[in-house]
Amino acid sequence: MTMVGRTLGRMEATALPHGGNGGTTVELLGLSRAYGSLRALDGLDLRLEPGELVALLGPSGCGKTTALRIVAGFEAPDTGRVLLDGDDTVALPPQRRNMGMVFQGYSLFPTMTAEDNVAFGLRLRKVSRTERRRRARELLELVGLEHHGAHFPHQLSGGQQQRVALARALAVEPRVLLLDEPLSALDAKVRVQLREHIRALQQRVGITTLFVTHDQEEAMSMADRVGVMRAGRLEQIAPPPELYAHPATAFVAQFVGTMNRVPVERRGDHVHLLGRRARVRPGSTVAGSAPAVALVRPEGLALTPDRHGEGIVTAMTFLGYVTRLEILVSAELALKVDRPSVETGGIAVGDAVRVELVDDDVLLTAAD
Amino acid sequence: MAAVTGLGGIGGVAPPAARLRARRGLGRGRWRELRWWRLAVLVVVGAYFLVPLYAALRFSFSTTTGGWSVSAWTSLPAAQGFGPAFLLSLRLALVATVLTVLLVVPAGLVVHLRLPRLRAVMDVATTLPIVIPPIVLILGLLAAAPPWLKATPYLLALEYAVLGFPFVYRSLDAGLRAIDHATLVDASRSLGGGWMVTFARVLLPNLRTAILSGTVLCVALAFGEFTMASLDQYQTFPVWIVNFDQSNSPQTSVAASIAALGVTWILLLGLSLLGGGRKRRPRQTDDAGGATP
Ligand SMILES: Nc1ncnc2c1ncn2[C@@H]1O[C@H](COP(=O)(O)OP(=O)(O)OP(=O)(O)O)[C@@H](O)[C@H]1O
Ligand SMILES: [Mg+2]
Repeated sequence: MTMVGRTLGRMEATALPHGGNGGTTVELLGLSRAYGSLRALDGLDLRLEPGELVALLGPSGCGKTTALRIVAGFEAPDTGRVLLDGDDTVALPPQRRNMGMVFQGYSLFPTMTAEDNVAFGLRLRKVSRTERRRRARELLELVGLEHHGAHFPHQLSGGQQQRVALARALAVEPRVLLLDEPLSALDAKVRVQLREHIRALQQRVGITTLFVTHDQEEAMSMADRVGVMRAGRLEQIAPPPELYAHPATAFVAQFVGTMNRVPVERRGDHVHLLGRRARVRPGSTVAGSAPAVALVRPEGLALTPDRHGEGIVTAMTFLGYVTRLEILVSAELALKVDRPSVETGGIAVGDAVRVELVDDDVLLTAAD
Repeated sequence: MAAVTGLGGIGGVAPPAARLRARRGLGRGRWRELRWWRLAVLVVVGAYFLVPLYAALRFSFSTTTGGWSVSAWTSLPAAQGFGPAFLLSLRLALVATVLTVLLVVPAGLVVHLRLPRLRAVMDVATTLPIVIPPIVLILGLLAAAPPWLKATPYLLALEYAVLGFPFVYRSLDAGLRAIDHATLVDASRSLGGGWMVTFARVLLPNLRTAILSGTVLCVALAFGEFTMASLDQYQTFPVWIVNFDQSNSPQTSVAASIAALGVTWILLLGLSLLGGGRKRRPRQTDDAGGATP
């Protein structure tokens, strides 16, 4: 964080590149794209407000990259449209869409220095040489690489290369920033730092940003809203806290955060689990009386030490404010429970405990 | 102080220069061991190339009576037919190479970037000119070529273009596979680059070495080719050498062969200087260039 603060401090001093008039609205309307019989996108609708960062989150192959490439203009949709501030982009080739893109793999031009890479788009826009240099340096400073302008890509680390790529994308003052898993090739520590950096920059510049990732932590920590994709469609889009607390479907629930799958007994529109009656939440995906499991977050369970309790503590992991406990309830059922560490002082591995549901409603999904 | 802030930026990674040095690191002992191997390989390979060359050179200075003479060399430029044959070969080599590059580079790029499924087909196609005997190729070409083309030696240039195609294509293909050019093209286009700009500013600088090394082979091949030229009955330089050898002094024709080798070397040297000129730019590991004014 201190690093981001420092960079922001420096940014104030320079004239900032701006995405124009405070951000562009981007609308994806009913996008579909098939490759042979495979439907990579199947009616994707999405609207990004000016200056908003939306993360598209989903498993591999769900169509995230395809969506991004259609917005960038590299692919054409079979049906559907992409609107920028209400204008259809269908006739525009990528080089005329004015979108900045950062790619998953390293994409810097290997024969150019970092500075020339950043200045590339400006050069194509016939910006004068001195102005190009000034802007390229300004951008490199923005990403904290003002001393690496003369380096070639092979002389930069992976994280540095992606920062140059970000500077290069921002240099042309694009209307929209598109990021396709820009951090996935980096190691964990750099990834966390760089995502804070990208977020701070994006907010400072105020550019509408579509960020694709399959890392839920990344999506949740950076985005204004997270869209969870599944098989070419948007399953739910919501701000991170809402997505976590109120997943619209079982798929979203299991994809975001950790979930316990607890077998339930169904009685009409109620269920019984862990010795308690609970209502069924809307969005549950089980038909009729099919076998079902409830999806319960680790913090959605409470513990009481109880010599006659049916759970045995098999592991405890201290995570700071919370401690995660693994509870073996039966041969088939092991639960993860997160409790504030102040509450778990009296519990040890091997203790018998009673596990209870905190909420009085649960999300159901089909048992497998 | 500013430098420290900058490097401490994200990840706190070591400056590139230090990392490069670390990556190259080989233990002292291991280095010495490697050096012996290198030397041994170098000597064997060097002998393989240089012994025949030395023998030829020695022969070209010898006389039939066992003495020494430079007459084979001095008489070479004036030898009957030397000039025209030499120029013809040079011309054919240039035409064939230009033709090959103009055909292969766009084809290679299209296959690689747009039709990757055709890559396997191209791999097979490029072995054909190598595995099919030249005599089959030339007979086929002679049967198929229009009469007006058969009347000029440029038919040979066409044949050499066919022979050179695998070399230029393979070398280009290796260059294209070495890095993710599809992403580079996408990056260039998203920054506003049209196809021409992308080709000239992004692809060509990356592929220059690959294209030139293919070109080098193509030139050497066209300059030295014998079978097709003799079947076509044109007095290219190699054909002239053989004919001259049979009718005149063998010393002179050996001198001519060495001269041909020299010319090819000079061409290759020129081409690789052209290719290496920009890549050999010294690695800048200091920060001078990037400092803010
Ligand atoms: N050019 C193509 N030809 C054929 N199939 C393709 C092509 N591009 C994508 N696909 C298919 O479309 C589906 C969606 O691909 P896409 O790259 O959008 O997935 P993704 O969500 O980005 O996955 P990942 O997280 O692995 O990058 C995949 O099943 C993929 O195999
Ligand atoms: Mg992808």
